[in-house]
Amino acid sequence: MITPFRSPRPRSVNRPALLSLTGAGLFLASLDAYVVVTALLPMLTSVHIAVNRPEQATPIITGFLLGYLAVMPIAGGLSDRFGRIRVFAACLALFAFGSFLTASAPSLSQLVTGRLLQGAGGGALVPAVLALAADLYPSGDRSPVLGAVSALQEVGSVLGPLWGGLVTASSFGWTWIFWLNIPVAALIVWALWPEIRSRREERRPANLDWIGASLATAGLAFLTLALYGTNPEQSPVGEGFLWQAPLAIICFGVFVWYERRTPHPLINVRWFRDSSFGGSAVTNAIAGAGLMVALVYIPVLANAVFSMNASGSALLLVRLMLGIPIGALLGGWLAHRMRSYRFVAALGLVLAAAGFLMLSGWTEGSLKPHLIGPLTVADGELFLTGLGLGLEIAPVSAALLDAVGEAERGAGASFLIVMRLVGMLVGFSLVAGFGLWEFHRATAHLLPPLPGLNPNFAAQFAFYTLKVKQAIFDEYHLIFRATAIALLVGAAVAAATLRPLARPRWQ
Amino acid sequence: MRAGSPPRILAAGLALAIGVSACGPQPPDGATLVKQSSQRMLALKGFHFQMQITGFTGPDELVQSAQGDAHPPDLHAKVNLKQGAILLEVEVIFKADSVYLKSFTGGWQQLTAAQVAQYFDARLLFDPQAGLFAAMRDTTAPSRGNSEKVDGHDAHTVDGMLQGTRVHQLLPLIREQGAYHATYWIESPSNNLWRARVSGNLFDASQAATIVFDFTSHDHPVSVTPPPLG
Repeated sequence: MITPFRSPRPRSVNRPALLSLTGAGLFLASLDAYVVVTALLPMLTSVHIAVNRPEQATPIITGFLLGYLAVMPIAGGLSDRFGRIRVFAACLALFAFGSFLTASAPSLSQLVTGRLLQGAGGGALVPAVLALAADLYPSGDRSPVLGAVSALQEVGSVLGPLWGGLVTASSFGWTWIFWLNIPVAALIVWALWPEIRSRREERRPANLDWIGASLATAGLAFLTLALYGTNPEQSPVGEGFLWQAPLAIICFGVFVWYERRTPHPLINVRWFRDSSFGGSAVTNAIAGAGLMVALVYIPVLANAVFSMNASGSALLLVRLMLGIPIGALLGGWLAHRMRSYRFVAALGLVLAAAGFLMLSGWTEGSLKPHLIGPLTVADGELFLTGLGLGLEIAPVSAALLDAVGEAERGAGASFLIVMRLVGMLVGFSLVAGFGLWEFHRATAHLLPPLPGLNPNFAAQFAFYTLKVKQAIFDEYHLIFRATAIALLVGAAVAAATLRPLARPRWQ
Repeated sequence: MRAGSPPRILAAGLALAIGVSACGPQPPDGATLVKQSSQRMLALKGFHFQMQITGFTGPDELVQSAQGDAHPPDLHAKVNLKQGAILLEVEVIFKADSVYLKSFTGGWQQLTAAQVAQYFDARLLFDPQAGLFAAMRDTTAPSRGNSEKVDGHDAHTVDGMLQGTRVHQLLPLIREQGAYHATYWIESPSNNLWRARVSGNLFDASQAATIVFDFTSHDHPVSVTPPPLG
């Protein structure tokens, strides 16, 4: 089962010190979750990939998410069996090794491998630290600690793009985003070393569902490959779509079949009997996809059309990212006040959809009009989008956790993160392929003028640049409108399925 | 044990036998290897190539890398051009006397040889008279070095010098002055050239740069067809 929080640790250990150190490692890894979105262009150039082949950047993003998803479901069980801190230290070392491969990559394949290992190491830290926090504190005092750990992870991922943009724009360059991880990770492991060697940690027998985890990972890997449009001029999906997509479906089918029969499943399929659980899982995945679209395409739009550098792109994205934690706090308070998960979740998704619709109307002059004081209309639109995406987090999470049994809350919480990441992975893969395909379709007959070959080159080039920018805008308008529609579907699902439940119906 | 006793003589004899059999036939000297490899590469029905320029190239040298298939003079390649801090990819086809270019957007457009010479005449790289394989023959002081693995193949390294005037013919922005260090990785007895490296102050009198060519699919037939225009 995902992330079981079991027997308490001895109270003799220095709990704040342990939690601070492991929390610092978790923060470090979460910073890197979306750090690349503001560093993609220089990363591509470093591995000799041209900017007009952006499809080759897709695995840099999907690789991390896939690694994260592959390891996260079994990491809780691994920490049961081998000890929380040992698993934490091993995974932090894996994360640091992934960082080394990424920073030193001479080729795209090493860069993607590095990101995959970073994801695998970083993804395992979440359940390991949550389980450690649950061990260290008794059930009555546990909630604020677990909340703080989750908040640390969220804040890290929110700050990641800004951190990435600032380092990339500095004289150090993008590789230092990853080089810096190595000494910090080493310092954390060094500080934890006495605890790792003490053998004080309790090890428990854990039934790890390796088969389930392998089937789910294989399914996701095939799906990611199927949706990865390697040649967007010809097709929005991968060249092997026709055999990879059915294989992914078969893997997921066998996974569900196996999970229903195995005594220690990765996911309790009975949860899905409750429509509130299924609805919140789907809503969470759609919101994750929406967030990923914003994370990737706002910096790229800033760079390609508004000619911003990495730090400028990051600062533009921060306006949206700021709205997320504020929305998350507000969503929790509103849901509690109104005693309704469905209304607040649906409201959040509708606001996010409205935000995406506004963004889809952006043109070259959209960053200029002022709203109030120094704030522009664009600032407001970005903040609204983030606020909407934040608003849905608390009610959707609470609805899902209410639908699982008390003893399975840890597993339910991990499933929430898994579904969000699945949404990010699948949503981004789909959008990247279709977006680029649309761009190539729109520019299929747009021949660039060449200096020396065209008599009136300057004028023709200005006209050509205008046309290309228009095609990029058209691509983004399509992507943002499609995302808005998906979010509205999510709002409808939330409105139709979510409800506050006193206790699980089937318990 | 006494020196020269039967077991020691036996062991020495065995070691000698193993040593001789492990060495096998000696490969030709550097000059012969380079000459034979040049002939071999000029006679191929086709090959895949990859070219990478690193180091200081100056503001005028736009080409950063190229890769594709060639049966000289026909060639189909993807070329990465430097544009400030970023790279842009274009695709070129050289077929008979026609040159075709596929740029950042749109389809293929046809250029004349004179027009394409302003940017990057990839045909020059493997031209039978001016190209790399012909230049190999003009390598001065070639000396054979150790055997190294390149792309899974055992190849002998041959070090030598190439005159600037000769290397300038490959890429017109390379300086004609002086001489550059050239290294070839040649498989024996097939004489396949797997890698060639030219290094020195190629584009600037005081700053170094390196061009590395990698070759695979030796003698695999390459047929380049003109693309549809528009």
